[in-house]
Amino acid sequence: MIKKKIRIINKLGLHARASSKLTQLACTFKSELFLIKDKNKVNAKSIMEILMLAASKNTIITLEANGEDEKEATESIVNLFGSYFGEGE
Amino acid sequence: MSSFNIHGVSVSNGIAIGKANLISNALFEVVRYEITNREIPNEIKRLTRAIDDVRKDLLRIKKQLQKESSEEFSAFIDTHLMILADKNFSEKPKIIINNDNCNAEWALKKQMDFFVDKFEKIKDEYIKERKNDVIQVVERILKVLLGHPRQANQVNNESSAILVAHDISPADALQFKKHQYAAFLTDMGGSTSHTAILARSLNIPSIVALQNARSLIKNNEQIIVDGNQGIVIVNPSKDILEEYQVRQNIWGIEQKKLSKIKNIKCKTLNNENIELLANIEVPDDIKSVKENGASGIGLFRTEFLFMNRKELPNEEEQFEIYKSVVKAMSGKTVVIRTLDSGADKLTSADTTISSNPALGLRAIRLCLSEPQLFNIQLRAILKASHFGKIKILIPMLSSLSELRQTKLLIERAKKSLRNEKISYDRYIKIGGMIEVPAVAINAEAFAQELDFLSIGTNDLIQYTLAIDRTDDRVSHLYNPLHPAILKLINLTIKAGNKYNKEVSICGEMAGDSKLTKLLLGMGLKHFSMHPSRILSVKKQVLNSDTQKLAALSSKVLKTKESEIIETLIRKINQ
Repeated sequence: MIKKKIRIINKLGLHARASSKLTQLACTFKSELFLIKDKNKVNAKSIMEILMLAASKNTIITLEANGEDEKEATESIVNLFGSYFGEGE
Repeated sequence: MSSFNIHGVSVSNGIAIGKANLISNALFEVVRYEITNREIPNEIKRLTRAIDDVRKDLLRIKKQLQKESSEEFSAFIDTHLMILADKNFSEKPKIIINNDNCNAEWALKKQMDFFVDKFEKIKDEYIKERKNDVIQVVERILKVLLGHPRQANQVNNESSAILVAHDISPADALQFKKHQYAAFLTDMGGSTSHTAILARSLNIPSIVALQNARSLIKNNEQIIVDGNQGIVIVNPSKDILEEYQVRQNIWGIEQKKLSKIKNIKCKTLNNENIELLANIEVPDDIKSVKENGASGIGLFRTEFLFMNRKELPNEEEQFEIYKSVVKAMSGKTVVIRTLDSGADKLTSADTTISSNPALGLRAIRLCLSEPQLFNIQLRAILKASHFGKIKILIPMLSSLSELRQTKLLIERAKKSLRNEKISYDRYIKIGGMIEVPAVAINAEAFAQELDFLSIGTNDLIQYTLAIDRTDDRVSHLYNPLHPAILKLINLTIKAGNKYNKEVSICGEMAGDSKLTKLLLGMGLKHFSMHPSRILSVKKQVLNSDTQKLAALSSKVLKTKESEIIETLIRKINQ
């Protein structure tokens, strides 16, 4: 299992488009993927759960990956956050 | 396009000519029904298939959008597709179907409400608004389940649009108040349904209980609504249309004539003063109260302040509303009825809907079981009583102990205000609604302990005749002229006279000008009704002699059959 802290840097946080990109990406991996904010732990493969997390800019969340491709999954997801979800800001 | 007529129950008079505007907001039409264990697998399959259909629809739309290279919109569709694919969204309703033995539509809506509630609690405004995505996806699925056209109707905001819906719930009704519809037509409903009350308050014609008008009428078809006769004419011929344009003009002229009696004193031919008061729901209604020359407000239904919102209004907010009403009425009486709501009117999340809400925890029962909520309202009313003439009206009393408990709570609220040195009317009058048959039969006991009595005929009829007024299969049995109803009204008026307490009627019967003379003959002196009914009732009062009517009314009270009563009333009105 890998745990990795990620800071949300894009302007709107985990809003609808970012959430759907994240979910789409998460679904391509076999590992179990969770996002943890404060005491809430949600399934990264569920857009509803990610939206409910309501994570805004500058929030620090923890990604938890568990499974055969956990390493690739963590790397890809960290990159997605780091690329501002392809939004440019 | 062939012309045809549909017959229904007219609940608001007038004539409208316009284009049909079909309301296919599927959310409005979701009802719960029970299914058996054997039907569960099929119901789940029905839901799975509907979700599948919607996914295909969305994929097709997405492809179309990609061709037009509008990436922004296609991202929205993506979000909808992902919501649709989310197990929390699509699988939970199946569990609900299984656990609650309910239909797919209901299960889906229940799950949607759960999400919407969670979104409401999110502080981030942008993410909060995403609840609309969830609602839109649910609506798409519901439309498939209910067999509606999947494209949204174009919103027609012309004043000649005629709303055609399956039914209108109280929450919808408030939204429609803002639109400029020329008439309302619904498949369901009766003369006291929310559609009816709303239509009368907007002074537009309305016909209900049309059974399947919504499926017979097509969007934008031309329609004549004859609210005087309860007929809907779809695609009228040229001759009929011209005939109705003339009738519409004549109707308008008659209405104008009525407005001339507005400022005449409301007295019978034998010089008896009769008080005509208005029923209101929101402070905005006061405009119409004044336009029709009401001598006060006989019923302010406060439950509308509690609707369409997540949090109940606090004391300060309620106080400001009551104060604004009483100030606007400048010294005239304002009767404020405490919260008279059951599960069907409160939209807050904590309502458990019982199978028989009319007989459940509602009105004063609800208030006595939620003393804190009640105390907030009582304090707000008392504080406002400093600014004019307010009376408190308690709904749905069924026993003296409830009345005594309520009075105790009012005293406590007064005491707390005294302690805080806040002014209120120390002699504020407390009245009770007579709507439970047990109370009408025992009216003398209540007359001794109340300052005034107000007969709520809508509920009195529903409870006495055991008729669910929202069920159109039995609504034809709803009969204000049932001998038992007239007896209960008579008992109440007599009890009031004996103990020198004012008696009024604030139900629909008070606003029915065909019944004015009968009620005057029975000794009623205070009528409270929808403002739009005041002038036609006043016209009757001005032409009445209560001494002569008394004899006729007592004859009616001795009659056993409703049919004969109807004949007698026609004679009284001649």
